[in-house]
Amino acid sequence: MKAKLLDLFKRILETTAIDEAVSQANCEKWNSIRHLNLIVEIETEFDISFEPEEMAKMRDFATVLKLVEGKRI
Amino acid sequence: MQYVFRNTTLEGILGMNGIRYSGYDDITFPSYAVDSYVWFYQVPIQANRAELSLELHSYFSKFQLVYRQIPQEIPFFIFTLIPLFSFKVQDSDTAIEIACNEFNKNMIEFATAHTNIKIVDFREFTNRYKQSEILDWKYYFISNMQVNPKLAKDFQEWFAQKGEALAGRRKKCLVLDLDNTLWGGIIGEDGMQGIQIGGDYPGNAFSLFQKQLLELSKTGVILTLCSKNNESDVLEVLEKNPFLTLRQEHFAAYRINWENKAENIKSLAQELHLGLDSFVFVDDNPSECELIKQMLPEVSVPEFPAQPYLLPVFFMELTRRYFATYSSTREDTTRTAQYRANAERNAAQAQFTNFEDYLKSLDIRTDIREADAFSLPRVTQMAQKTNQFNLTTKRYSETDLQNILAQGAHIYTLSVQDKFGDSGMTGALIITFPMPKVAHIDALFLSCRILGKKIEHTFLQEVLKRLPESDIQTVTAEYRPTTRNEVVKDFYESAGFAVVSDTSNGKEYQMELKKIKLF
Repeated sequence: MKAKLLDLFKRILETTAIDEAVSQANCEKWNSIRHLNLIVEIETEFDISFEPEEMAKMRDFATVLKLVEGKRI
Repeated sequence: MQYVFRNTTLEGILGMNGIRYSGYDDITFPSYAVDSYVWFYQVPIQANRAELSLELHSYFSKFQLVYRQIPQEIPFFIFTLIPLFSFKVQDSDTAIEIACNEFNKNMIEFATAHTNIKIVDFREFTNRYKQSEILDWKYYFISNMQVNPKLAKDFQEWFAQKGEALAGRRKKCLVLDLDNTLWGGIIGEDGMQGIQIGGDYPGNAFSLFQKQLLELSKTGVILTLCSKNNESDVLEVLEKNPFLTLRQEHFAAYRINWENKAENIKSLAQELHLGLDSFVFVDDNPSECELIKQMLPEVSVPEFPAQPYLLPVFFMELTRRYFATYSSTREDTTRTAQYRANAERNAAQAQFTNFEDYLKSLDIRTDIREADAFSLPRVTQMAQKTNQFNLTTKRYSETDLQNILAQGAHIYTLSVQDKFGDSGMTGALIITFPMPKVAHIDALFLSCRILGKKIEHTFLQEVLKRLPESDIQTVTAEYRPTTRNEVVKDFYESAGFAVVSDTSNGKEYQMELKKIKLF
């Protein structure tokens, strides 16, 4: 799950130079449009749906992973 | 580079590759080189239908204002206006539909006289989906997108094909197999009388397919045959079978033999003087298809349906992908005259001829005030998030801002309202006082949704006019480049500041305050 999610991040953020520590603060490529693309791709890929309140919190990889895992149970 | 005039968020479906966007409902046009323009306005989501109708009637004259100012040889794609959602309360209330039809009709007429204009019928895309699939309210409210970003891939593929079709780059020649492609069964096995064409299923499906191909050939597509058969058998069937639509005379050339099909297509290309990239190969046999894909990668090879009843879908897809031609949609032009009169009255109210009038028509009201405890959280949020219109990109926290205020600085906020509603607080400006008689603009950032309407200049001038310190003589300012704020690199020049230093680290500016007071 973690690896799959990280691959998705690399694809959408168009960079391989990121790891699990990636966040909006440390990754310039994580702009608002790619943020939306991330959400769309994660929702589609994992067949889940985020609430706007959750989307607002998704500012770093760890939080996103936790949210995805929480929905997959 | 494609430049898109728009009034809603489109980044989610059009993407960012090679595309730049105007501000929302911003009809100023860019100075950099553009390969093509796109006009893609959507019907705003608004409850008051009378106001909305008036707004829609203004789009065509806005468009004309833009059109007059740009080079007329550059392609300009116009999306038709389609209401994706309607807040209709009464069934008889058709004002929005009429306004959309009026816009589309005007555009189609305009396009007939201006050849660089290409009409893109947006309904062709929206018709593929249910309304709930197109408009996802969650995404609308978080990002102002009317078209669900999950449709992005499909949309981009569709629009790219439209672009190809509109640019006239369609394929020219269809290479058709015979057995199990133009009829059911195989001549060599079922005999000349045993093939299935006409009559009951599946013959009726092949019959319709042949009729559709004949219509396609009337639009200029060249039909050819390539079949592994005895030539004399096939020619006899083409001549004698009473149920066929396509006869020998409908084919510009044919290769009926037992040679490999790649060689046959090459020789067809030579005979017809066409490039292989203008060929589309249609064959029910997957191994033949694979051979052509391998040997002749320039030739397009669509996947043939396994069931004959899917032939109509296959034909539509074939036409759409390879043989679409550009022509105006006429369906929108045939509405009744009575409705048109109403529409014209509305349009007259929404006319204007220059940019100043346009600004006036937006009825923009700005509210500039000093930040207080209530507004600081929002200022902090903007300081953290604003990327494009941000002169110094200082990512202040709320505590930082409190400290700055405690040191005597002023923070001004900007709220903007126009006739469509309140955008809320959309900008802030921080003034510090580094030395006596000098005011320094430490930070200035605005949401890009309000740009292009001269609001940024108004904001700066107003703030400087209002400074409570009466002894200020000089205003200094700075620009710090980031990867995202290039749009503002000449902002202070445009506001009348003089450049004091210009290095890779940014620019420093200065201006005498009395100059500003003259505005």
